[in-house]
Amino acid sequence: MSRASSIWTIAVWEMNRSMTTMGRHVLPLAAGLLVLLVLVMGFAASSGVHMQDGIYRIGIDDPEVARIVAPDNRFTLYLDDGPALWENRFAYDIIILNGEVYAAETEKGLAALKTLKRDYDGYVSRVAAGEPDLFAGYPLWIDLEYVKSELDFQTVMSGEQASPTADTRVPRATPGSVEAVTPPPSAMLVSEDDLRVHLAEARSDHPMSRYTGILSGSSATDGLLVPSELSPPLPYDALILVFVFIFPLYFTSQFFMMSVMNERVGRAGEALLSTPIRSSAIVIGKALPYFGLMLIIAGAITVFIGAPLTILLPLIPVILFFLANALIIGMASRSFKELSFVSIFFSTLATSYLFFPTIFANTHVISIISPLTLIVLELQGEGFTAMEYVYSTALFFATSIILFYLGTINFREERLFSEKPLTSRLADFISGAINRDHPNLALFILAAFTIPFVFMAQMMTLVLFFNIPMPLSLVLLTVSAAFIEEFAKSIGIYAVARERPTFLTPKNLIFGAVAIGLGFLVGEKLLLFATLAQITESIFGSVLFLSLQVLWMPLLLHITGVLITGGFLLLGGRHAYVPGLIAASVVHSLYNLYFLTGGLL
Amino acid sequence: MNGRHIGIIAKKEFLGLSSEKTILFAVLLQVFIAMFSSFLMVGLTAMYDPEAIESYSATTYGVGYTGADSPLIDEFAKRDDLVLYRMDLQTAIDALSDRQIAAVVHVPDTPPDAEGPITITLYLIQNDLQSSIINVKLKEVLQSYERELREVRADRMVSYPIGLNFPKASGGESFFEFVYGLLIPLLVLLPAIVSAALIIDLITEEYQRQTLETLISTPITYTEMIWGKIATCAVLVPVQAGAWLLLLGLNGIAVGNIAAILLHASVGGLFLILLAAIVALHYRERTSAQFVFSTALVVVFLFVMAVPYNPLNLIVRLAVDTAGPIHWLILALTAGATVLLGWAATAYAQKIGESGQKER
Repeated sequence: MSRASSIWTIAVWEMNRSMTTMGRHVLPLAAGLLVLLVLVMGFAASSGVHMQDGIYRIGIDDPEVARIVAPDNRFTLYLDDGPALWENRFAYDIIILNGEVYAAETEKGLAALKTLKRDYDGYVSRVAAGEPDLFAGYPLWIDLEYVKSELDFQTVMSGEQASPTADTRVPRATPGSVEAVTPPPSAMLVSEDDLRVHLAEARSDHPMSRYTGILSGSSATDGLLVPSELSPPLPYDALILVFVFIFPLYFTSQFFMMSVMNERVGRAGEALLSTPIRSSAIVIGKALPYFGLMLIIAGAITVFIGAPLTILLPLIPVILFFLANALIIGMASRSFKELSFVSIFFSTLATSYLFFPTIFANTHVISIISPLTLIVLELQGEGFTAMEYVYSTALFFATSIILFYLGTINFREERLFSEKPLTSRLADFISGAINRDHPNLALFILAAFTIPFVFMAQMMTLVLFFNIPMPLSLVLLTVSAAFIEEFAKSIGIYAVARERPTFLTPKNLIFGAVAIGLGFLVGEKLLLFATLAQITESIFGSVLFLSLQVLWMPLLLHITGVLITGGFLLLGGRHAYVPGLIAASVVHSLYNLYFLTGGLL
Repeated sequence: MNGRHIGIIAKKEFLGLSSEKTILFAVLLQVFIAMFSSFLMVGLTAMYDPEAIESYSATTYGVGYTGADSPLIDEFAKRDDLVLYRMDLQTAIDALSDRQIAAVVHVPDTPPDAEGPITITLYLIQNDLQSSIINVKLKEVLQSYERELREVRADRMVSYPIGLNFPKASGGESFFEFVYGLLIPLLVLLPAIVSAALIIDLITEEYQRQTLETLISTPITYTEMIWGKIATCAVLVPVQAGAWLLLLGLNGIAVGNIAAILLHASVGGLFLILLAAIVALHYRERTSAQFVFSTALVVVFLFVMAVPYNPLNLIVRLAVDTAGPIHWLILALTAGATVLLGWAATAYAQKIGESGQKER
């Protein structure tokens, strides 16, 4: 059988199997639940959400005033005469006597006051909207225009505050920038009727509308607004994209994870493994239906919200990444509960990696490390270049391919059906990738392969520490980057030492360390020049990728790091691994800090 | 049913949890979230209430003013956190995109008492945290200008809103409504959902690994085994929820009536666990059971939220001390529903256990 046809056989078989296990029993109930869901949504829409009912107590002496507050469920309303209210004033968060508002001097009282103010503003607007003379009720209209401005790393680099603060001198612009601006016309171009319609719509708007507005591309802030409608544009709004695009994909990848796990439960996959089909064909064949399904789901969502189909391009590496991780988690977990916990943990990590950089979309080049940023750009109608696509997706493609490779070579009986704990299984997977006949070549390749993961982890720390003030963020970044690198380099040695303790002789350690150091350096070089040139130009980049400036120095550093960890392993056995790792990280950080201060001074 | 047998099973499950160290991942997750906490706090609060972000900024912002003179200049003069610069439009926009100033307002020469509207053009930097803050500040200025204009044009209006005099608010924005009205109920709900997912794993695992035979051959009955697992998961709910509330307390967020809140959480959690257990008993296969349960969970959650005086709302009220004795009634009702569900789960488990015995 050719490779393609065996992949196809497995894919068809996988589809049939999941359809029969899921289909017969689950689909009728799922359909029933879907109907229930629609009914409950209708009920919730008419009844409203009653989460915060009655958190504040308000006492009012005038039924007319009470009518303003009544629609807001957050207030429990007490109507009483003035003196009685005043006497019991400490039982209330707010009392209103003769049109005077008194709030309790507590955090809760202040929060209640804020809520009341908003309700009152809404009431005033409603009264104004009923005016026959619209421009007496709403004399002021605002036309919002956005100007694009991108921060470059240079601003952050010199440590100055990148915010538009006012100082004593009059601001002046650098000449010759931006295109000419045409002053806006002073007369209003929209008809009065349109404005009334707009106001009526704004009144009935659901609080979620700002989030749905992001997806439809045209936000509610287009066109003319009254001051109370001004709503700050939130960079966090991109979180809605995580809910809309990422969660359904993650949810679907769970089925693949379970399918992999099911092969292992009760040695169910034994029959499959005994066929002449190669393990790569099995893995690809099993993943293929889920890949297709996820693509269809993503496509359906895209069509549903009316976005261009090009946003599927940045989603493909994300889908692959989820599938690759699902494969490894499904192969490594010992039990269902471990599967649940690990996958929840992974999903949180992956979601933050995808989401946090998008906060800086439009403002900072760092945002481009997340494919989600490309989606944001695409939804804004700006699109992305091929180069940007490579920048933001290269790490996802690389890590997915490596994880799939790791899963494929370990998709064997003795690995799948062993009952070892999670960490030693993962170590087994890695040592499974180390060729016994050419251990040094294998260590070299392994070290090069860890680079995309190291970069991902370091990007994560970069995003994490980005907000901390300057000197501290650099130190934290240096230390964590050193630790991540030392950890990645030690994996190979550790895995070998676990499986074959006799392998770890001083001579072999030195050869191994040289191989790992070289592999690390080559991998770093290759990936960096291929992708991340933009970030490396900044000071943050020089912290993370310091080792690229002079060649022999970093090589020596990488080798020393492995030698330290390996030396601890050699002398103290496996229990000395963690101290060794810490020692190596300390040496590595000191080296980096020395060069950094030397480079800056 | 034998209480000791249930205890044995519960102990076995606890040992399994601790030996796998899977619970460690839950702890790691919490630490990870805590690392992002300041980020999340600002972010989530801002999503909940966009105007709260204003309180994060103590700096003064420059605003470019172009176009005709207007009373708006006086409104700006009242603020000490905004500085106005008069400039022409082109310079202003250039300065804005260079981030020399935070916003530009362009005011037309329409007089305040004109027939038509006054249309101000506002230029901001796109999708930027800074412009979110400046947006909130400008909104306050513009709203106060709107009030002034309404007074100027008051003789053209036919109805007047009831006047209310608000005290000068002291102190900045607070997290109050977000923390008590959203964060606390969700943190208390989370352990219940985790436990419910856990019971599915525990039950389906016995089936799929075929370890059930061994368990049933001991004197422990099938029903006792199921209840032992339910007990394990149920105990985790108040423990985790209590830990969250304790953490909040350490962070200076005082939560009232903790005992009553944990009682509500335990009963609600047990309800979800029983629901998950019944689903797991029916399917005996993890993928289907988790899929059906997570869909059912959404339905139950949406339904509960739409009912006044639902348990989550009561947790909010209890946390801010405005619950009143009615919460005991609701607790009794929830407990009643949980007992019914527990009875159903027991009957179902007994039926399965008996049919299993007949087969042998």
